[in-house]
Amino acid sequence: MNALLRSPIIAPLAALLIVTAIAALTTPRFLDTGNLSNLALQVSIVAIVAIGSTFVILIAGIDLSPGSAIALLTMIFAISVKFQGIPLPIAILLTIALGAGLGAFNGFLTAYLRIPAFITTLAALSAFRGMAFLFNNGSPVFSVHDALEGIFYGTFLGLPLPLYYLIVLYAAAWYVLRYTAFGRAVYAVGGNPNAAELSGLKVRRIQFFAFMIAGAMAGIGAVLMAARLNSGSPNYGVGLELSAIAAAVIGGASLAGGRGNIINTLIGALTIVIVQNALNLNAVPTSVQTIVLGAIIVTAVGLDMWRNEIGNVLHGLAVTRPKS
Amino acid sequence: MPDQTNTAVPAWELRNLTKRFAGIVANESVSLSLERGQIHGLLGENGCGKSTLIKMMMGVHQPSAGEILRDGHPVTIAGPTAARAAGLAAVFQEFSLVPTLTVAENIWLGNLPGHRARVDWQTMRDSATEVMARLAVAIDPEAIVADLSVADQQLVEIAKAIATDASMLILDEPTTALGLEEIKDLHRILRKLAAQDKAILYISHRLDEVEELVDCVTVLKDGRVVSTAAETEVSVDAFVAAMIGEISNHYPKVDNVREEVLLEAKGLRTANRVQDVSFNVHAGEVFGLGGVLGSGRTEIARALFGVDRLLAGEVKVDGQTLRLRSPADAVAAGIALVPENRKVDGLFFNFQGQPNMSISKLARLGSPAAMSLRTEERLTHELYDRLEVSASAKDRLVGLLSGGNQQKIVIGRWLFAGARVFVLDEPTQGIDVGARAAVYTLINELTAAGHAVVLISSDDNELLAMSDRIGIVNHGRLVDIRAASDVRKSDLVRASSEQETAA
Repeated sequence: MNALLRSPIIAPLAALLIVTAIAALTTPRFLDTGNLSNLALQVSIVAIVAIGSTFVILIAGIDLSPGSAIALLTMIFAISVKFQGIPLPIAILLTIALGAGLGAFNGFLTAYLRIPAFITTLAALSAFRGMAFLFNNGSPVFSVHDALEGIFYGTFLGLPLPLYYLIVLYAAAWYVLRYTAFGRAVYAVGGNPNAAELSGLKVRRIQFFAFMIAGAMAGIGAVLMAARLNSGSPNYGVGLELSAIAAAVIGGASLAGGRGNIINTLIGALTIVIVQNALNLNAVPTSVQTIVLGAIIVTAVGLDMWRNEIGNVLHGLAVTRPKS
Repeated sequence: MPDQTNTAVPAWELRNLTKRFAGIVANESVSLSLERGQIHGLLGENGCGKSTLIKMMMGVHQPSAGEILRDGHPVTIAGPTAARAAGLAAVFQEFSLVPTLTVAENIWLGNLPGHRARVDWQTMRDSATEVMARLAVAIDPEAIVADLSVADQQLVEIAKAIATDASMLILDEPTTALGLEEIKDLHRILRKLAAQDKAILYISHRLDEVEELVDCVTVLKDGRVVSTAAETEVSVDAFVAAMIGEISNHYPKVDNVREEVLLEAKGLRTANRVQDVSFNVHAGEVFGLGGVLGSGRTEIARALFGVDRLLAGEVKVDGQTLRLRSPADAVAAGIALVPENRKVDGLFFNFQGQPNMSISKLARLGSPAAMSLRTEERLTHELYDRLEVSASAKDRLVGLLSGGNQQKIVIGRWLFAGARVFVLDEPTQGIDVGARAAVYTLINELTAAGHAVVLISSDDNELLAMSDRIGIVNHGRLVDIRAASDVRKSDLVRASSEQETAA
């Protein structure tokens, strides 16, 4: 068990170190303190959304909707603070709760109505963004609140606040997956839903909650996104779901479910963001950056497939004796 | 029926085949002679090297030493395609059919008749019909494979294997998914093929059926031949002796039946064919469910376990009527199900043994919000010891374990959960003799502790020997309940033939 939950951290960590080394060697300003703190800010939103993606991938689902959910949630958040005068702390909690609600909707369709997750969240990807454009005539809402930017750009003990959010959320996710009955059930349901059902687990409820967690993470991501630019916009979060899924998969989560590790997801998110950051510093155009992200995703998913192939080969060698 | 014209040179011969993987010897100097017209049994416990041997014959692995001879001449089998071309055909445990295609398409897949990209459908259908006729089975070549029964799919596999005019047919555990009648059918077909001068290599765990079928037997142990065809007497005791090295009483039944009733099923009915099923199981009793595959035994298990919703009737444990809406309710009431197909329904292949065993009762690890992994380690290791799980299996993903150890872990899950009613659906299917003995001992332990066991088994000897009473199932109904000592094998067979007449 210990070995399983520790799961191979070596490969993603090696990838991260290689990417970091290349970035440091090729990009003079990469190791500047300013840039490093900038990196922490950049990675925070992707990494938090990726927590949700990991939970959903662990139950053998997929969530394509968090980017669009974030757009919708920043609009609602910005409007409720700026135009409805709802106090900031309450608006933040409401936004996270609403995010959980959007996730619960995906979860309901997937777990209880048995519509494949790819379809429900693809529909949500489209629908949530459409809804975002329904607010404020489809225009962004700027200058939401004076105190808002502090949530994102503030520091504590000289370190950016988002770093603390990351640490707290990742520690919580790690604890949940490792030390709670729910976390164990998440792995079991993703590993073999039939066996999970026949072992007495409430499979659909577990799936439902995984999507709800993903929604709540999108809610937190939306608050940070709004704080980052002190605004809400229906155009926020485009493609974020891809980065989040890529982070989980680069971290070694299997899209077949049941295999993956939250700390590795953080490593995956860092890898992606460092690549983007290095490309930025070298003034590589956005178009090329998105191509590189595509290449990273293909490589990562490819590795996921190959890992099974390689595993099978090793398995074949190992198994010739135990199983005749 | 050995071939008269060619007794001197066997159709196929393995001479001193050896295979090593990274220093581990899987096969050591194995020699076999496979004669035309003979059914040759290959026996051995899991891990004895049977699979490796077949894989070498089918070109999946290349031998490290030794040679394969066809008609007395050495041949090199470079890969599966070369094996087919050389006249070797194998039917493996896992079906290699495409479920969405027709029978004819499956038979000719990879070898479709026709010109260039155009498929000659008529020829394909005709030749499929011809192959079916050779097997003397009535399966429509136009039928979609997914619509066929498991037994018929197995026959399609065999049809596919012989369609290319193979001189040798290898069957790896072909009967694991078949019922009694279907096994008889398969044996009839194999004898027919042998009569058509094919050499047949037949691998099975079911000693009783090998005894009835084969002409000679080779026993493998630790990758070596321990008993050659010429030496082995074709009898169950001789096989068991050769395989595990001693003659043991392989059904160590202990009578532990107590007075009080633990499980009561009354008038069960489900949409899944279970009709008016009523029976009681006493504490310490093994209640066997007999009948052929498809008679409704597994469906009764599903009803007891809350998988299929009860349309009528009730289940009581210890006099308490259960609210069975899901397996979770059954688990909470202390009912355990060891499913027929442990790979699909039993095991979590992403887990090692420990979490596989603790999953049904995580509450034993402390609060759901703070499980103690140390407690899990301790409790599951106690179970490992009790179940005699081999030491090397303890810290490995369960996919890497032998069938016997896998089954022990599935059973261990319910010991961990503290279940009191054990529904065991084919608990010894696909596991070796040693693990079987462990399962039987475990059944005795369960009954000694006052638990109730519902045993479903297609192995009639096992069912008769291990049960206290037997209910015979036919078309989802319980047609007869008798003391196991009053049931003969022929009664079970008759139940199935009655079913045929009824159908």
